[in-house]
Amino acid sequence: MRTPLKLLLCHHGSSGAQAAETLAHEFAVPGTTTLVHCLVVPELWAGMQGDDWLNNASTRDAFGSYVEGMLESDARREFAAVESRCRERGLAYASVMRFGNPAETVLAVAAEVGADLVVIGSPRKKGEQGLNSRMELEKLVRSLSCPLLIAAHP
Amino acid sequence: MVYTKKSPALLIIGMVMLLWGWLNASGSIDGMQQYFQKSAYSDHLKVKEKFDAEFRVASEIAAAENKPAPDMKMPKSKFDEAKAFQANMSYIFGGVATLLGLLILVWTPKEGNLDYYLSIFPGMAYILLIAFVVRWGLDPMFANWGKAAQPTLGWNFASIFNLNYVVLGIVIGIVIVNVFKIPDWAANGVRTARFFLKTGVILLGALYSATELAQLGAISVLLIGVFVLGSIGIVLYMGRRMNTGNSMTAVLASGVGVCGVSAAVAASPVVNAKAGEIAYTIGTILVWGVGCMFLFPTIGHMLGMGPVQFGAWAGTGILNSAQVAGAALAFDPHGIETLKVAEIFNITRVLFLPIVVLWLATWYVKHEVGAEKVDLRKVLFAKFPLFVLGFILMFLLSTLGAFTPSGHYQGKYFSSEQIKEDKLLKGKETKAIEAELARLKEPAGAKQLQDFFTEKAINIGQRHATPEDAYKGLAELIANRKVSTREQETLLKAVGKMKGLDAVAAGAIDKASKAAYHSSKTIGAFRDWLAWLFAFGLIGLGMQITMAALKQAGGTPLIIGGVVGTIKAVGSLIVVLLFIKEFI
Repeated sequence: MRTPLKLLLCHHGSSGAQAAETLAHEFAVPGTTTLVHCLVVPELWAGMQGDDWLNNASTRDAFGSYVEGMLESDARREFAAVESRCRERGLAYASVMRFGNPAETVLAVAAEVGADLVVIGSPRKKGEQGLNSRMELEKLVRSLSCPLLIAAHP
Repeated sequence: MVYTKKSPALLIIGMVMLLWGWLNASGSIDGMQQYFQKSAYSDHLKVKEKFDAEFRVASEIAAAENKPAPDMKMPKSKFDEAKAFQANMSYIFGGVATLLGLLILVWTPKEGNLDYYLSIFPGMAYILLIAFVVRWGLDPMFANWGKAAQPTLGWNFASIFNLNYVVLGIVIGIVIVNVFKIPDWAANGVRTARFFLKTGVILLGALYSATELAQLGAISVLLIGVFVLGSIGIVLYMGRRMNTGNSMTAVLASGVGVCGVSAAVAASPVVNAKAGEIAYTIGTILVWGVGCMFLFPTIGHMLGMGPVQFGAWAGTGILNSAQVAGAALAFDPHGIETLKVAEIFNITRVLFLPIVVLWLATWYVKHEVGAEKVDLRKVLFAKFPLFVLGFILMFLLSTLGAFTPSGHYQGKYFSSEQIKEDKLLKGKETKAIEAELARLKEPAGAKQLQDFFTEKAINIGQRHATPEDAYKGLAELIANRKVSTREQETLLKAVGKMKGLDAVAAGAIDKASKAAYHSSKTIGAFRDWLAWLFAFGLIGLGMQITMAALKQAGGTPLIIGGVVGTIKAVGSLIVVLLFIKEFI
C-alpha cells in the first residue's frame, strides 16, 4: 500500500479511538503524511434539552451555552493530546470538528480534505459505558472513495 | 431572511385546512363524520326524530285549520355543532395559514425579529394540523375500534391503553422527529410548543377556587416535599456508594428528584456536569418519563382512581414534568379535573426547583475539591419560573371576578337577577310548593323539618336552620317564582332533598335552584381552549424526544434512576391511595 498523504483519523477519545490512533501512526510517514484529526460531535446533542418546558429561556440558553462549551473544551483537549503525539513522531497535523451524523460527516470531511486513507476505531462492545452514537459502517463503506481501516478493539 | 424558509408548506397546510372546513360546512363528508362522531350522530338522530314528530303534528294541526304548513327549523344537534366547530376552526386557522403561506412565498423579509416571527408560523400550523388529525380523526377512530374489538377481545384496548388524542399526539410527535425528522421550515415553530403549554397552565389558573387551591396546594407541598427531598437524598446516598462522581450524582438527583429534564437542564451548569453525565441523566429521565406516561393512566383506571387521586399520583410519581400533563390528560382526556390537580403538583415541583438547585450547588461545592462557589442569589433569581406568576395572576383575577362574578366555582356562579323568564316557576309548580308549605306548617311537618335540619346539620350562616327559615324561603320562592339569595337557595336545596316531599314540589325547588346558577362564557372558553393548548404543546414536546437522547439511558445512572423512580412511583401510589380522598 502506498504511503498516505492525507490520513483521516476519526478520534473522539474513546479506547477504540485510541487504538485507531495507534494504527494510524503505523501507516503515517513523517514528512509525507498529514494526519487530519476529525472529531464529530454527534447529532444527539441537538435533542439533549429533551422536552424541557418549565425553564425560562435564560436557563435554557445557559444550558445550551454550557453544553456547547463543555463539548468544545472536551474536543480541544482531544485535539491537543493527539496533536502532541503527532508532533512527537514528526507528523504534520490538522484538525476538523463537525456536528452531525458520524458516517455522513466523515464522508464529507474525507472528500473535502482529499483523504487517501481513513482510520476509525471498532464499535464499542455492548455494555461498555459511553455515549450511544454508533458509526453506520455500511453507509461509510458504500460511499467512501478511499481505503478504510478499522482498528481492532483494544 | 435567515429564519424563514421559502417553502410552500404553510400554504399547502392552510389550503388543506380550508378544504376540511368546506367539506364539513357543505356536508360532503357527513358519512365519514357519522363514523367518527358516533355519539354526536346518535344525538342528531334523536333530535331529528323529535323534530320530525313535532313538525308532523304541527303540519296536521295547520292542515286541520286550513293554514299553510308551519315554517319550523330543526334545532342544532351535537353532531351539527361538532361539524360547525370543525369548519370554523379550519376556516380561521386555514385562512391565516394560507395568507401567511402566500406572504412567505412572495416576500423576503430582512434578517431580524420580523423574519424570526414569520418563521414560527409554518411549524405552528404543522403541529395544529397534526392536532386536528389526532383529535378529529384518530381519537374517535381508535375509540370506535376499541369498542368494535371488545366483544372479541373481552376488553377495550383503546380505553385500557388510553389511545386518546393526547397519547396519540405525543406518539405521533415522537415518530415524526425520529423517523421523518422535523422539516427545516417547521423547526422554529415546533419550539413554540413550550410557550403554548405554559399558556395552558396560566389559563388553568382561572379555573381554581380559593378552597381548591389551598387544599391542593397543601397536599402537593406535603407530598412533593417528602418525595422530592426523599428521592434527592436517596440519589445522593446511592451516588456516593456507587462512586458515580459528584457532578453526575448532583445532576441525576435534580432530574430524578424534582421535575425531570427541566431540573437537569437547570442544574447541569451549576454543578459543572460533564457532557456525558448530562446525556445519561436526560436519557434515563426520558425513558422513565415516557414509560410512566403510558403506564400510569392504565394503572389508574385499573385501580378505579378519581381525578384528585390520579392527579396527585401522577404529579408526584412521574419523574418528568411534561409527561405529568400528558398522563393527566391521557387519564381524563375529555375533562380537565385531573389536569387541574396534576398541574398544581407540577407548579409545586417547579417552585421547589430553585431551592433544590441551590441545595445541590452547595452540596457539590462542599464535596468537590476545587469547585467554584456559586452565587446563590443569582441562581435563585435566574431559576424562578416566571409563568407561575401568570398562573397566580389569572387565579387572582378570576377570584376577584374579572371574568365572571366573584365567588364562582369552576366558572359557575349564582345570580338571581340573570334568571330568564322561561326559567321562572310555572303555576303548577308554585301550587305544588304552596301545598307542601301548608303541610310542613302542620306540627308533624314542622317536626319532620326540624329533625331533618338537625340530622343533616343544616346551617344558615353561623346558626342552625329552623322550620321558620324554610317557611320564609318557600313563601318567597312562591311569591318571586325564583330563588333570590344564595342563602335561600342553599336552604331550599336541602329541603328539596327531604324524604316524603311531593315529587312536583321537589322538582320545582331543584329547577329553581339550578336556574339561579349560570356558566361564565369566558371561563367556558378557557376550558375549551385549554385542551387544545395542551394537545398542541404536548405534540410539540413529543417532537423534542429523540431516540438518540433516549438511547443514552444506561449504566449506573439508569440503575439509580430506575431504583429511585420505582420507589417514587410505588411509594406515592401507596400514600395517595391511603390518604388522598376524592373530596376536593
